[in-house]
Amino acid sequence: MSPTPTGPVAVFRESLAPRGQIDVPYLLDFYPLQSEEHTRIHPFFKHLREGRFTTTRCKACGELLWQPRAVCSKCLSEDLEWVELPTEGTVYAFTAMVRGPPLGMEADIPFVIALVDLDTQWRPLRLLTRIDGVQAGEMRIGDKVRLKIINLADGRVFYRFTGQAGNAGQGTKR
Amino acid sequence: MRQVAIVGGGHTKFGVRKATWKELVQEAGKATFASVRNLTPRMVDSLFVGAAEPERFAFQSHVAPLAAEQLGITPTRVLQRHELACASGQSAIRAAWMSIAMGLSDVAMVVGVEKMNIPNLPELQSSMACVLDREWDGVHGASAPPFFALCAQRHMHEYGTTREHLTEVRLKAGRFAATNPNAHFAKTFTKEQVEKSVEISPPLRLLDCSGITDGAAGLILTSAERAREFTDTPMYIHGTGQASQGHNLSNMESLTTWTPLKWAAKEAYRSAGIRSRDIDFAEVHDCFTISEIIVTEDLGFCEKGKGGAHIASGQTDIGGRPVVNTRGGLLGMGHPLGATGVSQAVEILWQFQKKVPPKRQVEGDLALAHNLSGSANAHSILIYGRRPK
Ligand SMILES: [Zn+2]
Repeated sequence: MSPTPTGPVAVFRESLAPRGQIDVPYLLDFYPLQSEEHTRIHPFFKHLREGRFTTTRCKACGELLWQPRAVCSKCLSEDLEWVELPTEGTVYAFTAMVRGPPLGMEADIPFVIALVDLDTQWRPLRLLTRIDGVQAGEMRIGDKVRLKIINLADGRVFYRFTGQAGNAGQGTKR
Repeated sequence: MRQVAIVGGGHTKFGVRKATWKELVQEAGKATFASVRNLTPRMVDSLFVGAAEPERFAFQSHVAPLAAEQLGITPTRVLQRHELACASGQSAIRAAWMSIAMGLSDVAMVVGVEKMNIPNLPELQSSMACVLDREWDGVHGASAPPFFALCAQRHMHEYGTTREHLTEVRLKAGRFAATNPNAHFAKTFTKEQVEKSVEISPPLRLLDCSGITDGAAGLILTSAERAREFTDTPMYIHGTGQASQGHNLSNMESLTTWTPLKWAAKEAYRSAGIRSRDIDFAEVHDCFTISEIIVTEDLGFCEKGKGGAHIASGQTDIGGRPVVNTRGGLLGMGHPLGATGVSQAVEILWQFQKKVPPKRQVEGDLALAHNLSGSANAHSILIYGRRPK
């Protein structure tokens, strides 16, 4: 599909340098926007900063909601209260991110990802979390893990859990 | 409601393609029109595009009219793009079925497409993590492989499923994919190759995972009355079901029995007026080896917890019933998100039309296609028949 040669033709040229790298704005990293102007569940992050792990519970129907909500996903009430969650949990299932991490997590691999059971006074709650301080090969189902608060350099905050090798409860080998 | 027929299907080569998503749409469209008679793009009144993440993979929104333009289609009835992550393709087929069934559309095209291979792999992985709830799951580094790895660990823990069972799923996918020139991985593997492939998320290794693949596929749908204008061998939509529960694994009832899959299957069988044992062959969503094991169980093809042994014993191979994933599965074909559900339908059409290589040809009148999405929290099923319902 090459055009018929027509000999030299004067054309205008200019060199441009596209930006080799574009800074990633907040909405393209994985951490939520956390302040009052951005989210109705801002108390979750304020509590976390204070060392308290909380979620919303519906005062109308009593449902414990995870993740925190602005509207009850069971009865649609907005009459919600903040309640404390346990900061110790039990590993229900675990794996690791060994290859193929998202942007910004390349330096962290391998790291453990687990489903952790929290024994709340309302209902059993199972949450997905990263587990620090232990490798997958050292873990068992049933291991105990504890809350860990992550302070981001820009002032935001998040949670993970932390475990340690040889911390197996009634765990069974994977 | 009118009965709906699929009269033609076309398919691109799946793989790491030196082509944009728009070019893949052109290829699939051309192949689809070539599969039917008496039909030009201008006669198509509705277009349904399945595409999961063109905004992230190709920095492009509003893809349905753009796809129509590529194909010379000028829709006068319905134009829609469907996003349901890994099940975007079947979502588009279901919408076309609805539109024809209610009489809004007469001749509809479905195109499923995804261009996933982009220059920066971590960016691709980030986009895949955004299929999850980014703020609560993606933030922990979770993406598809860790989610399905958690399901695999629990299935092993609860039912005694083994590493060998996972391997057998991949070996079967390879045997079928080796007969399919459209497959990304059109070859067989050995047990050692599977079990020594690099670890991704334990217990899952590279060969337990479907690939990062580019591709597209297309279908033409019309009413059963008009089907024979376009082909002598139409297939018919007999039933369908779709269900979802939760999004985060936190809010799923079980990791090892996929409750919404059971709901979707019950409705699909009910609407088709059949039972699971009536299915002759099936295309199921083996995005990971463990998925095919759980899906085989929850569709009712074998006893709960026995999926691994069932597959390992060859009962889903040629000679067994139902035969599962003759196309090569997502494991062998690769998984271009929006294209997969459409590709599954094309395989079933070609099976009914006896257009597949003899090595993977199966006999039968009823087939099931299952497409899941997200953390296995959403399931979509279509039941296709070689004869009208
Ligand atoms: Zn409520």
